[in-house]
Amino acid sequence: MNPSLKLGLIVFIALEVSFAQVWTANVALIVVSLMLMLINHVSFKRLLYLTLVPLFFSSTLVWSLSLRGSASPHFLLVIFTRLFVYVYMGGLFTQTTEPLTLTRSLEQNAKLPSKFAYGFLAAFNLMPKIKTEVATIKAAAMMRGQVLHFWSPQLYFKVILAAMNWSDQLAAAMTSHGFIEGAPRTHAQTVPLVARDWWLFGGSLLLVQVALFCGLP
Amino acid sequence: MATVTVNSLTFTYPQRKRSVLDDLSVTFPGGKFSLLTGVSGGGKSTLLRLIAGLTPLPAPNTITFNGEPLTEIAPEKRAATVAMLFQEPSTQFTMDTVINELRFALENQRINPAAMPAKIDAALNFIGIMPLKERSLMALSGGEQQKVALAIIVAMDSDVILLDEPFASIDPPTRLTLLQKLVALCTQRGKTIILADHDLSGYAQWVDHLAVLDTGKLRLLSTEQTQRRFAAFTPEQLRLTHVTQPNGDLTVRLQGEHLGIAQGKRQLIQPQDLKLFAHQATLITGPNGSGKSTLFRALVRLGKYQGNLTYAGTNIQKLSRKRYAREVGLMFQSATAQFLNVTVTEELDLSRRFGNTDYFTAQRVQDLLTQLNLADHAEQVIYSLSSGQQKKLQLLCMLIMAPDVLLLDEPLKGLDFASIQVVMHILTTVQRDLNLTLIMISHQLSGLDELITLHLRLDQQHLTYEGAAK
Repeated sequence: MNPSLKLGLIVFIALEVSFAQVWTANVALIVVSLMLMLINHVSFKRLLYLTLVPLFFSSTLVWSLSLRGSASPHFLLVIFTRLFVYVYMGGLFTQTTEPLTLTRSLEQNAKLPSKFAYGFLAAFNLMPKIKTEVATIKAAAMMRGQVLHFWSPQLYFKVILAAMNWSDQLAAAMTSHGFIEGAPRTHAQTVPLVARDWWLFGGSLLLVQVALFCGLP
Repeated sequence: MATVTVNSLTFTYPQRKRSVLDDLSVTFPGGKFSLLTGVSGGGKSTLLRLIAGLTPLPAPNTITFNGEPLTEIAPEKRAATVAMLFQEPSTQFTMDTVINELRFALENQRINPAAMPAKIDAALNFIGIMPLKERSLMALSGGEQQKVALAIIVAMDSDVILLDEPFASIDPPTRLTLLQKLVALCTQRGKTIILADHDLSGYAQWVDHLAVLDTGKLRLLSTEQTQRRFAAFTPEQLRLTHVTQPNGDLTVRLQGEHLGIAQGKRQLIQPQDLKLFAHQATLITGPNGSGKSTLFRALVRLGKYQGNLTYAGTNIQKLSRKRYAREVGLMFQSATAQFLNVTVTEELDLSRRFGNTDYFTAQRVQDLLTQLNLADHAEQVIYSLSSGQQKKLQLLCMLIMAPDVLLLDEPLKGLDFASIQVVMHILTTVQRDLNLTLIMISHQLSGLDELITLHLRLDQQHLTYEGAAK
């Protein structure tokens, strides 16, 4: 499916789910997302991670709400499943979409200004460098007798300084590679947006509406 | 072929009093290889960025390409006119893989997608990096990244190629390959090349005219003057009169068994046994990019290494990170990596609070600040200091920490002559008073004689102690 449309679909469903209180629809969404992830060969380790983390948070949430006593069991069930819907749909999206294809699609199909699209991509590709930088900052601090944890403001101050420096360098490099804000570009690879994408989009939305409507108490 | 002309260009950074470029006029001939040199911080990068159009010009018509002012060239034709290759290899790419970055550059130039594969393959073949085509950019070594950056400029077919110290972290064989490709671009394709470098070794056979940038002015030397300058540039003569082979009396502080250093898949230092001695000042020299800094990062547990490393007999991996960091400190090559606070005073106070010795009293620190010409900057924000001032403050901070072993990565980089004398005097005094173990990487060799007692040379992937036996 076209990445931009897929993103739109998932955001829209997530928004609807956060207002509707239908746990059966939530379960249906969870099952569908899980099946799609399995079909797309998402690794077992990743699936386990995507299950255990929300399990912890939703359990503690339900536990604390039931202790306070005012919430109905139906509401607790909705809250419990809702968190899984968010995480599974998010997982389905990130695990089946290449950042580069999404960027190209956002630029070509959604007409997002290329400045945002490529700025985001450049930052994304700098991830390994940021990791090294954090290790260096921590080591430098330890040599001065200070232990920085991931919540230390000094760590963020230094990382932001480094990132600002890199962003200047990246901007200069993009300009040097001929990138001009707002100028027309050609596309080495076009991301198609065909009738089938729209049918999938419309069909899925319709199914969700039906499920929500049927499940209403 | 494009001739680059600079007409009485004066440039001052905002909120600075002194101008970096002062009424500068020069012509870089089309289809020629011009080499730009001068002290660091002398304005080489500023000039290149202005020519590349990355910094807005203070006045139109100050820079022209074949007579056409830079400001008049349509933005979409800029990249085909002039492109730049930067000093830091890893922050000049937008995309994830080599081929995608090439596509990105060609898309920006509005090349027809059907014509792209041929252009991409031609550029990669010209630089000789076809095997890297599908590789991820972040997984490449610095030298490979610079080759890719050059291939992109070849694909964009830019008339003028600017290079800002492109070999700063590149090993000698890669540097030679890149230089040969650049010369081929000049002679075969008529490209105009302007390269800034302060290390003049290896250029003599290719460069006709050397341009020297000094205090905002630029002089273009004649062919004879240029050749004379190259002949005079043999890397500084090493006159280390106290250096001897380490003898049996010395205590071993850091020891490597089958210690090897690699960067990605490339071996920088072949596995070897290495001893570093306590209470000595050891100098490590070797070509750019040969693995000296990588060795230092391994010694402070910031990088991977092969074999075993022990500190005072214990495997460094078995020591607590916190304790080890207090025992073995590294003065990073980039000064800002060392700082944790905002003002000079805060930074010094932090070092004094956690320092390993009470040798550095408030009075002594004040004296040292005065000697280093930093006394007037106590309340200043560190990041607004000049790079030389930052370097001096960084050294002071690490000396106050007084770790048992202090590794110094290019501590004199970018310092002027007077500062070097002061810094070396302070280093020597403190080392003697506190009996510290200093291990130093330095390209700058003047003034080191008083301090250095051991000299390790990194050559052909191997470290050996120099000097006569005692």
